Amino acid sequence: MTSHKRILGNLGNGPARRNLFGPVDREQLQKEYQAALRRDLEEASHRWGFDFILDKPLESGDFQWERVPGTKVQPLYRSCMLDVDQPERPAEAAVKPKKRRLESPESEKENVPCSPERCPLKLEDWQKTPEKRQSTGLKRKQTNITDFYQAKRRVVWMPHKSGE
Amino acid sequence: MQLLCLEMDTIIRARPDPNLLGDDRVLQSLLTIEERFLPQYSYFKGVQTDIKPFMRRMVATWMLEVCQEQKCEEEVFPLAMNYLDRFLAVVPTKKCNLQLLGAVCMFLASKLKETRPLTAEKLCIYTDNSIRPQELLEWELVVLGKLKWNLAAVTPNDFIEHIVRRLPLPEDKLALIRKHVQTFIALCATDFRFAMHPPSMIATGSVGAAICGLQLDSADQSQWGDSLTDLLAKITNTEVDVLKECQEQIERVLLSSLREGRQQQQQQQQMQRGPSGKGLEEQDQSSTPTDVRDVNL
Repeated sequence: MTSHKRILGNLGNGPARRNLFGPVDREQLQKEYQAALRRDLEEASHRWGFDFILDKPLESGDFQWERVPGTKVQPLYRSCMLDVDQPERPAEAAVKPKKRRLESPESEKENVPCSPERCPLKLEDWQKTPEKRQSTGLKRKQTNITDFYQAKRRVVWMPHKSGE
Repeated sequence: MQLLCLEMDTIIRARPDPNLLGDDRVLQSLLTIEERFLPQYSYFKGVQTDIKPFMRRMVATWMLEVCQEQKCEEEVFPLAMNYLDRFLAVVPTKKCNLQLLGAVCMFLASKLKETRPLTAEKLCIYTDNSIRPQELLEWELVVLGKLKWNLAAVTPNDFIEHIVRRLPLPEDKLALIRKHVQTFIALCATDFRFAMHPPSMIATGSVGAAICGLQLDSADQSQWGDSLTDLLAKITNTEVDVLKECQEQIERVLLSSLREGRQQQQQQQQMQRGPSGKGLEEQDQSSTPTDVRDVNL
């Protein structure tokens, strides 16, 4: 980084600690933040067919939602783990998508965390075996105990065939 | 008996993995996916009304300084600029919130790339407390949403090793070349004209500029076979003309940056110890655009 200092020498003139564009309008900022969150939530509601504020599935959604007791999911997904400052955050823990319709590639792309070279591969997996994804993904369908065994067996079966 | 703690406060880095660097598929994958992380629009022509290009430069400059002072990993700054550009390409932003955005982007990039990331408190201090940690954390969420949580963007830095290893370069010069390339990449990130260029092109152009600047290409021309540019273009599937243009653009930006830097240095030196500084005279003689050999000492 010393080379930066010399080549980009015109930059480091004065202390790095400084306010660039004057005072921030806190009230306005807070308003914009709330508005941005609301928009994000609306978009999410639209995409998942779920009203995250009322904690209810939307009538018009593409998904069929199914209630799962909080005790059956990872603590991570329980609403009590969410920030208390944000009661309107999605209470996804209680409800899981049962079956998802295959989406068009555009919206699919949004869902895939474009983690490098896997991307096209994942997309394929998703389209071919949506069930498997559900069982191995974070949003595990876990309605009853046999489902769980089935899911687990499928995972272990792949490499070793020893899970049965 | 005295107990001494000899534990060093060092950051542990993974060594470069020859399996990854030697495998063509890795480079090809990087080239395939890099476009996905480019900003969608040249946002000064539409989305942004309050923000002007010189303001981007101001915030970029500040971010670079913070990264330098905090000794961040090299890729943190270019990655943070990638977040900033992608956010600005979709969200109209006010000038007074631009520094907050810059801080959020550094916060995210640092968390993704560093073992000891920058803290929210530290970043707020760097804004001279014009923003609060709580605001930083709130806007982190907003920015993440707009980036669709796609944080692992490809940066020019990802290509450096891949390119350098495919060139017949003298072993003893590699460290110096890398350093120059990283500097050029950071320089490009401060300049909006490079924001829409694919990272591979910036990396390739920077390597070209570094090698030319260090005059490694003229010392032993026979080893290159093809010209350096042709070879570089082949490595990253860039068109030769486009690459040449990019390299020249980098050299121009470098020249003007050096010139500005020199002027400021002159002023500083005059204030400090009169105009007869030795380094100053040396620098005054450098007239070629890429004479950076003196710079990196």
